[in-house]
Amino acid sequence: MSSKLPAGVRFLGAEPGAVAGWLTHDAPTDRDIASCVGCGLCLPHCPTYRLTGDETASPRGRIAAMRAVSEGRAAVDATFSRYMDLCLGCRACEDACPSLVPYGRLLDGAKAEVMAVRARRARLVRVLGLDILLDHKWAITALSAYLPFVRPFLPPRLRRLVPRVSLRELARPIPAVTLPKGHARGTVAVLTGCIQDSWFRPINRATVRVLARNGWKVVVPPQTCCGALTAHYGSLGAARRMAAKNAAAFALADADWIVVNSAGCSAQMKEYGELIDRPDVASRVRDLLEFLDEQGFEQPAGSPVARVALHDPCHLLHAQRIFAAPRSVLGQVPGLEVVEIADGDRCCGSAGLYNLFEPAGADRLMRQKAANVAATGCHVVLAGNPGCAVQITAGLAELGVDVEVLHPAELLDRAYRRSARG
Amino acid sequence: MIAAARRDLEEILGSGAVLSDPLALRLYGRDASMLEGSCELVAIPSNREQVVACVRIARRRGLAVVPRGAGTGLAGGSTPLPGSLVIVTTRLQRILEIRPEDRLAWVEPGVLNLDLKRRLAPLGLTFAPDPASEASSTIGGNVATNAGGPHCLAYGVTANHIFAVELVLADGTVQSFGGEGPEAGGYDLRGVIIGSEGTVGVITAVCVRLTALPEAVQVLMLGFATVDDAAGVVSEVIAAGLTPAAIELMDRAIVRVVEDFAHAGYPVDAEAVVLIELDGLQGGVDRQRQAVEQIARSHGATVIQAASDPAHRARLWKGRKSAHGAITRIAPDFLQYDVVVPRTRLVEALAAVRVVARDEGLIIAHIVHAGDGNLHPLIMYDRRSPGALEHVLAAGERIVRACLEMGGSISGEHGIGLEKRDFMPLMFSAADLDLNDDVRAAFDPVRTMNPGKILSDVGRSHGPAAGHAAGAAPDEAGSWRR
Repeated sequence: MSSKLPAGVRFLGAEPGAVAGWLTHDAPTDRDIASCVGCGLCLPHCPTYRLTGDETASPRGRIAAMRAVSEGRAAVDATFSRYMDLCLGCRACEDACPSLVPYGRLLDGAKAEVMAVRARRARLVRVLGLDILLDHKWAITALSAYLPFVRPFLPPRLRRLVPRVSLRELARPIPAVTLPKGHARGTVAVLTGCIQDSWFRPINRATVRVLARNGWKVVVPPQTCCGALTAHYGSLGAARRMAAKNAAAFALADADWIVVNSAGCSAQMKEYGELIDRPDVASRVRDLLEFLDEQGFEQPAGSPVARVALHDPCHLLHAQRIFAAPRSVLGQVPGLEVVEIADGDRCCGSAGLYNLFEPAGADRLMRQKAANVAATGCHVVLAGNPGCAVQITAGLAELGVDVEVLHPAELLDRAYRRSARG
Repeated sequence: MIAAARRDLEEILGSGAVLSDPLALRLYGRDASMLEGSCELVAIPSNREQVVACVRIARRRGLAVVPRGAGTGLAGGSTPLPGSLVIVTTRLQRILEIRPEDRLAWVEPGVLNLDLKRRLAPLGLTFAPDPASEASSTIGGNVATNAGGPHCLAYGVTANHIFAVELVLADGTVQSFGGEGPEAGGYDLRGVIIGSEGTVGVITAVCVRLTALPEAVQVLMLGFATVDDAAGVVSEVIAAGLTPAAIELMDRAIVRVVEDFAHAGYPVDAEAVVLIELDGLQGGVDRQRQAVEQIARSHGATVIQAASDPAHRARLWKGRKSAHGAITRIAPDFLQYDVVVPRTRLVEALAAVRVVARDEGLIIAHIVHAGDGNLHPLIMYDRRSPGALEHVLAAGERIVRACLEMGGSISGEHGIGLEKRDFMPLMFSAADLDLNDDVRAAFDPVRTMNPGKILSDVGRSHGPAAGHAAGAAPDEAGSWRR
């Protein structure tokens, strides 16, 4: 290597006196950016790179774009925004990164920057939806009450992403306290979620029943959205406010554990330590199956189905590095075979609101996932995250195969009920 | 000129496959080396016909062509120079045919090395080259750099596994070199193309040789209290006539950072860790294992451990193969060299590096393809401190010169690219370089293809620009090397 380089070539690094082009206080830090050496080991794990073969749609490329801004060689402009918006935020790259680059944190910072340059209308939509609506659960419930009437008139793309919501369910909230079966092992506080609580309340009910069945007193403190979507779409300030509300509420509930049945939300609550300096809350957060695996659980007498395909939500597999726990728990259900989905570590394309904002890429990933689920030959697929469930349901419907999408809590709940009936 | 080229390209490829935004060009301005260049346009063709069109348009519009796969090269081979069109081959990613009975497969250049291996494994076959970047690097890139990898000790480098290469030449013609077997008539021009780093054409298809997976595989992990003990074991294993598939050495600094990522159970207190993979028939593997363990014990190995199962073996390799990517956890910046010494002089070479490190006051970590005598000294620095880069470059040159004095080479497997181009005169005479340049000119007389790589474009040192190279002749040993 020589220091006499040809014209137009330089060694990497900022020029002396370079001024970063960042606009906000939440921008990616130089330290995080510098942890990427650009080796490219992340590339094959990135779904958008796999689809396009394009460096600009890869984790390495996105970090290089952030580096360009931090070194004053590029601006946070429409192109930068486009590259960041094309990222699913699935964090599969983090698993593959030997430098342990905190990509999720970098992306949240970059999205905060992008938010600052969004067109006024796009920003307004996001602020109204993510910063304000998600923070008011009563409003979500109220709006959801109109869904059964509005749903038939939605454009087909949206309609398939909106489940049928039962008004009867909406009228019956999850009880604030559920007493355990048998002697109490302790208290768990449950996050019921924002959308999950209105659109998938039966999953929350199944979760509470499964926990109570296993000797846990279940409390549901008054709470707000975990703030994941808000953080991932550029409003870190609003996300911190939501996190602080939840941290206060859950601390007050004085539970031994905080159990979350949606992978995106458990991943976010585990970030509360870093986001709002509440490690006391973050350290008690467990995803449902992780919790059952750690604490042990009562084996059901049998399984309602013989084989299930197991979907790994990205925010469980990549963001929380949880792979073994669901397999261990389901493996203990007698008569149940867990079948792996080919390319199971690849995002289904739901990715928060990706399937709304980036329909083309999301649809391609959805079709890949649905085809791989169908190829397992199972009649049931388990998905522990509402976004994934909606996306996989839509994909399977388009494919015309009859596979039921269940939450793992629902499967366990059915298994217990079946054994209760004997 | 550039606007016109863009219009031409968009007409053929569609606008989504042609990039001209300054930020996009910046992202394609680098590969995995430490250099950043710049280009005028990026094209991402999807098939051979589109590649041909891209090359023709570049020529018509006066742009140089820089072929690029996944951009995992470490020598700057696909770092573009101003005035170039980057042609990305990642969308040519079909495995065209696999013929197990003929032990060959035809693939497009954008197929990832590990994807091909995964397809082949159920057939009991593999594609042997295994660069550390195998998970993300493309077959086209492996061919262009003649990539090595830990297992090239037993199986040879990429060149030993390529039957034929289809190339788009600078004038847009498509030529196939080699045939579906090891012997093709006439001159073996495959040897020129493999390792040509994009300077003779764009690869559009490759016929690869398939190798049977071995019946038995065993990885031994050895820990040592000194790097010299480790290197001594390596030399003795080779001298004893044992034939491991791979012998890798990592020093303590590297072992510590990769253990954090791979959780392979490396002994983080050892000064050096050696991985030795044995493969073949079960009986042979067992015998070799006993022999290696005996040698290790006699050299005072502090850890002798065999991989417990295939998953453990995979973790041990995962650690080794992620070493380069993990370096930023030691220092913010580093330069990596790729020097080779005769493998019997490994201890001496490591001592020479140690002297440089001490004299210059630098931290130098080691990843070594020990069985091949291929060292990757990693010199750590922080570019924010003034003069640090120049200091590191000077130290690196000292290491390179020391290895050459031992009868070594400036590059084992990463290629020459841009990074090591200026070291070429240390190894080759002016006449040698001119002859190389003539060979290249036979493929690309107008220098459209990746100019400035491997050989400097700035004036020939000797003789006329094409035709015969006066004074170029092999030495007595029949080698072109000085």
